[in-house]
Amino acid sequence: MTVVLTARELTRHYEVSRGLFKGHALVRALNGVSFELEAGKTLAVVGESGCGKSTLARALTLIEEPSSGSLKIAGQEVAGANKAERKQLRKDVQMVFQSPYASLNPRQKIGDQLGEPLLINTNLSRAERRAKVQAMMQQVGLRPEHYQRYPHMFSGGQRQRIALARAMMLQPKVLVADEPTSALDVSIQAQVLNLFMDLQKEFNTAYVFISHNLAVVRHVADQVLVMYLGRPAEMGPKEDIYNKPLHPYTQALLSATPTIHPDPLKPKIKISGELPNPLNPPSGCAFHKRCPYATERCAAEEPAFRQVGTRQVACHYAEQFL
Amino acid sequence: MSLLQIKNLNVRFGDADAVPVVDGLDLTVNEGEVLAIVGESGSGKSVTMMALMGLIDAPGRITADALTFDGTNMLKLSGRQRRKVVGKDMAMVFQDPMTALNPSYTVGFQIEEVLRQHLGLRGKAARQRALELLKKVEIPGAESRLNAYPHQLSGGMSQRVAIAMAIAGEPKLLIADEPTTALDVTIQAQIMELLLNLQKEQNMALILITHDLAVVAETAKRVCVMYAGQAVEVGQVPELFNVPAHPYSEALLAAIPEHSEGAERLATLPGIVPGRYDRPEGCLLSPRCPYVQDSCRRQRPTLDPQAHSQVRCFYPLNQEVA
Repeated sequence: MTVVLTARELTRHYEVSRGLFKGHALVRALNGVSFELEAGKTLAVVGESGCGKSTLARALTLIEEPSSGSLKIAGQEVAGANKAERKQLRKDVQMVFQSPYASLNPRQKIGDQLGEPLLINTNLSRAERRAKVQAMMQQVGLRPEHYQRYPHMFSGGQRQRIALARAMMLQPKVLVADEPTSALDVSIQAQVLNLFMDLQKEFNTAYVFISHNLAVVRHVADQVLVMYLGRPAEMGPKEDIYNKPLHPYTQALLSATPTIHPDPLKPKIKISGELPNPLNPPSGCAFHKRCPYATERCAAEEPAFRQVGTRQVACHYAEQFL
Repeated sequence: MSLLQIKNLNVRFGDADAVPVVDGLDLTVNEGEVLAIVGESGSGKSVTMMALMGLIDAPGRITADALTFDGTNMLKLSGRQRRKVVGKDMAMVFQDPMTALNPSYTVGFQIEEVLRQHLGLRGKAARQRALELLKKVEIPGAESRLNAYPHQLSGGMSQRVAIAMAIAGEPKLLIADEPTTALDVTIQAQIMELLLNLQKEQNMALILITHDLAVVAETAKRVCVMYAGQAVEVGQVPELFNVPAHPYSEALLAAIPEHSEGAERLATLPGIVPGRYDRPEGCLLSPRCPYVQDSCRRQRPTLDPQAHSQVRCFYPLNQEVA
């Protein structure tokens, strides 16, 4: 298997103004995330609002430069790339956004929107582009007459199909999907998720699938990365993480997720409080103020993101949960 | 005597012969009961509750054989009389806590406003009661939060404030319209627990409107599944989830990723919910239903009692009595 995406200690900090007479504050939106992703595989990134999921997506899609760390796409280092190389890299990483209402141009016909990536990045003739667009439309379940229509004539599910078709037009090596189904109803979500899986098989694309819905992630992912306050909390194969979460935050997330066949005997792990202010993160482990197992060591010492068995965990006491 | 009785409720927008958005809905809620209403966007769940609270303005038209709450005919009330009931005996929590609160007034003022209007509390007494309410919804540092503005609160906090306002008049019926959809999972778990604790403590009836079947499975005793403005199945909770009788209930359950664990593809229902201009002549689900028969395309079924639940289907599933 070929590795198509490598991130090493990827970090993105933002400076936030606090008014005229105070210095800038630093928000560590993304703090040292590393992973490797193979072609045809899916890495799911899970976490609550403010954990850095979307910042990670922006860094991976070259929308923003990381503050430090390195990113390799298809073997090519991003940091030192010149303009021409970056244009080539952008072809290889495409993105699907959360809201299908905001991500399509309301004044452009569907056919033109799907053809635009080809117009910019290839030398295909008009007829060739049209043929490619129509083939892709058929693949995502749109009818040929939809070519001439505008986005407002489609439902949310159909629009997300269009957004996905547009992202796949150049057959990218990596597709970053940021909450692609959270705006959709369950029955439509199922249709769109199936389409994601079908296209992955067809084009052998690597997916970075960002979601807060653990049930969806369980269906699509190979590897799962759980993030908390900009830092990785736990990363490993899907089955291991769902069967035996080691990080207390992963345990709490899984326990808080409602299920359709609840087990009344299984005690819920409750975590109190809310996400801390990222401008003023707690000392030591970022999770210690909400963690039911926190000790003095957790408040003093930041846990390293280390290998435990098949996965990596950032908890001092991960072995105790094995 | 049930607390809330809805018989043959129809809501139309526009002409008297327009396609109904809520179509012949029958629903009863007993005192202290938790009822969930599930359905996808456009199924009429929110409009039903708006109609009940008298929040539908022209060109909306409401007709019903009965719309009785706590012995009062809600259809006959004048605006002034209705305002005495709504907000006090019948209160509502909305989906988006950020827009449910007025951004220009402090949290304390907004809670005190409810107390002033409905209980006639003034000055220190109102302040005291507002503080008690904030403590009841488990807001940390309640004293200081009384003077906070909504923008200073997180989503979870704002929803707690909205709940405090709703329970200020000790309502007999609390309607929660997607109360946790805008929140993260760990916060969602906290809010649901709070709502259920309050419901038990004050013996309120709770109507929970949601599209998330897993939330229903964990909280409600009885559930009403809606599709395109009609109730298609009404039943008890574990039964409806274990042996759904209506094909739509079955399809909704099957579309949840949790249901297809380990499977390659998710089960889906083809197509989308019919809009107001493309209603089929027969059963509203007939164009999408996998079990459709000729008679389904000609006639509309009625909601009838079957083995486990009330079902609107000519050929209900899972009818063998265990």
